[in-house]
Amino acid sequence: MSDSGDSDIAWTFYKDRPEWSDITPVPEDDGPTPVVVIAHSEKFEDVYNYFRAVLQKNEISERALHLTKDAVELNPANYTVWQYRRDLLKELGADLRSELDYVESVIKQSPKNYQVWHHRRVLVEWLQDSSLELELTGDALLQDPKNYHAWQHRQWAMKTFGLFENEMDFVDNLITDDVRNNSAWNQRYFVMNNHLGWSDLNVQKEICYTLEKIKFVKNNESAWNYLRGVLLHDKRGLGGNAVVLSCCEELYKNRCRSPYLMGFIIDICDEAIKKGETNSIYCADRAIELCQALATKYDKIRSKYWNYLSENFKKAKYIENGSANNIHV
Amino acid sequence: MMNNEENKNLAHRQHVKYFMRFLNVLPSSLSSHDTTRVTIAYFSVSGLDVLGSISSVSIEQQSRIIEWLYRLQVHPNKQNGDMSACGFQGSSTVNIEFDSEQNHYRCGHLAMTYTGLCILLALGDDLSRLNRQALIEGVKALQTEEGNFSATLSGCESDMRFVYCAACISYILNDWSGFNIKRATEYIIKSISYDYGIAQCPELESHGGTTYCALATLSLTNQLDKLTLDQIEGLKRWLLYRQIDGFQGRPNKPVDTCYSFWVGASLKILDSLHLTNYANNRSYVYETQDCVVGGFSKWPDTCTDPMHTYLGLAGLSLIGENGLLEIVPTLNITKRAHDHLKTLHEKWACES
Repeated sequence: MSDSGDSDIAWTFYKDRPEWSDITPVPEDDGPTPVVVIAHSEKFEDVYNYFRAVLQKNEISERALHLTKDAVELNPANYTVWQYRRDLLKELGADLRSELDYVESVIKQSPKNYQVWHHRRVLVEWLQDSSLELELTGDALLQDPKNYHAWQHRQWAMKTFGLFENEMDFVDNLITDDVRNNSAWNQRYFVMNNHLGWSDLNVQKEICYTLEKIKFVKNNESAWNYLRGVLLHDKRGLGGNAVVLSCCEELYKNRCRSPYLMGFIIDICDEAIKKGETNSIYCADRAIELCQALATKYDKIRSKYWNYLSENFKKAKYIENGSANNIHV
Repeated sequence: MMNNEENKNLAHRQHVKYFMRFLNVLPSSLSSHDTTRVTIAYFSVSGLDVLGSISSVSIEQQSRIIEWLYRLQVHPNKQNGDMSACGFQGSSTVNIEFDSEQNHYRCGHLAMTYTGLCILLALGDDLSRLNRQALIEGVKALQTEEGNFSATLSGCESDMRFVYCAACISYILNDWSGFNIKRATEYIIKSISYDYGIAQCPELESHGGTTYCALATLSLTNQLDKLTLDQIEGLKRWLLYRQIDGFQGRPNKPVDTCYSFWVGASLKILDSLHLTNYANNRSYVYETQDCVVGGFSKWPDTCTDPMHTYLGLAGLSLIGENGLLEIVPTLNITKRAHDHLKTLHEKWACES
């Protein structure tokens, strides 16, 4: 946040306010050898000189509470100001509801600031009231659907107060708006994991939902990753679900060469090898072929990686053949 | 503004000047960094170190920086000897004397302690003025039940960033008595997502920066073997998928210069950085270089800042760019500074 104090004509310095004349300001003591010095505005220095003064004597007063607002406005990242403000709110028995409004307005100005979200969380804990949190974070996510702070606060409130009821609708809307919103896919997993659960039926439903989204945008890492996540809850593994297999093969047959599709088939091959259940479709040879196609044509930026995987499959094949030969001998 | 033809080489001299400016005076528009000035000093000093230009800082200026830092070290409570607030403050904003009871307002911050120690190492200080035991007690006071760390005693969130800072401090001071490795490792493993990336806390979205914090911590604590083979291979792929030309921090997010370090160093820790495409990475980072006044930005043709400048250089160093010193990926300091640390560790071992 920029320090816009100089353009504020109506501003009266604390040092010029009669009601503060009993306080001796405490200037910052940066020692005899200051470095990385910030050339603060006169307003910033004045406010913080008085902030240090009241903090040092631990003044508990309405005027100190008001001063912290000015200090926050000049630097919302100052965690000591917020901590002192919380101590004041408690000591003064202040109205915490209006504090919720206040911090909401600061969050709207600084939605990516750690301290403001922490302040919000402490207030919600004190009040044991989470009724405004979904709306607050929903608004922040409307502005920036990938705001990590907002997601973190939302997940915390949902888990602490059990607010899962309508979350899947919220997630659906976000994914409809932007199918590549990875945060929304992560939230979908969060709701499944904590609320709806991974029953066989739900696993199947999530697979169908995800495959639809993949057919819509094939080269979308978020959806492919989610599909893998769902299949962690299918005890048959990555390659045990007929709907998934047929969808992947259909995509491949229709010339889809998304690296995520190809990587997925490679992993099915890998699983089959590790389980000793290879067949003509899912085997080391196919994995090697796919790795080579990725390395030379479809995902050249990662050619070294796909070559590395290819080498691993060649080794696995060598061992497989070796042990098979041993059985025959 | 930036001519692509000219912008393929390191504007070494300009970057040195850029960091030297930040070590002196910053404009009032940076007031929101008022409590974290130590981190700006870290980016600048470590940046000069990576550039092989520590000697551009005069001996006098070096000792000024050192004196300034030691004044930010919070010492044990004079009345009762309590060490839980010990560490480094990020500036002298609240560097005032308190009565014993309000002492919690004057407390160290893990990110400031970590970056403060890195500066001292880069400047070749012998760390003799540290109260090592007090710093370790300060770390200990901040580990939560969950296994992660808060940044400070004075009302602060806890997450993966501060697990990493606590691990670096413990490593540098060669004392793990304030860091419960088992609990931190459990926290890290719980924060691995379904896509194998690692998040700020359990169940949040995987993120390049927090994945770095987690992997560097596992490496510093010798716990990488607690990851399964599936987790390691999954992490490698998740990290490698972050490369577009430069690197992004999360799937489907824009590329940003700083992830050439966060993701690059994570891969280096997993011995897999060589699987990335160096040329594309390098050319993206150079697109964000301001070769006129120095500095790097997150995106081409946007404002430079010390963090992206340092991390851009550190990212280039990882892929062996000419004219840059080698970086130790876990601690994010130069090998030169790390070698100095090793001599201090040997000295401490003889003394004890």
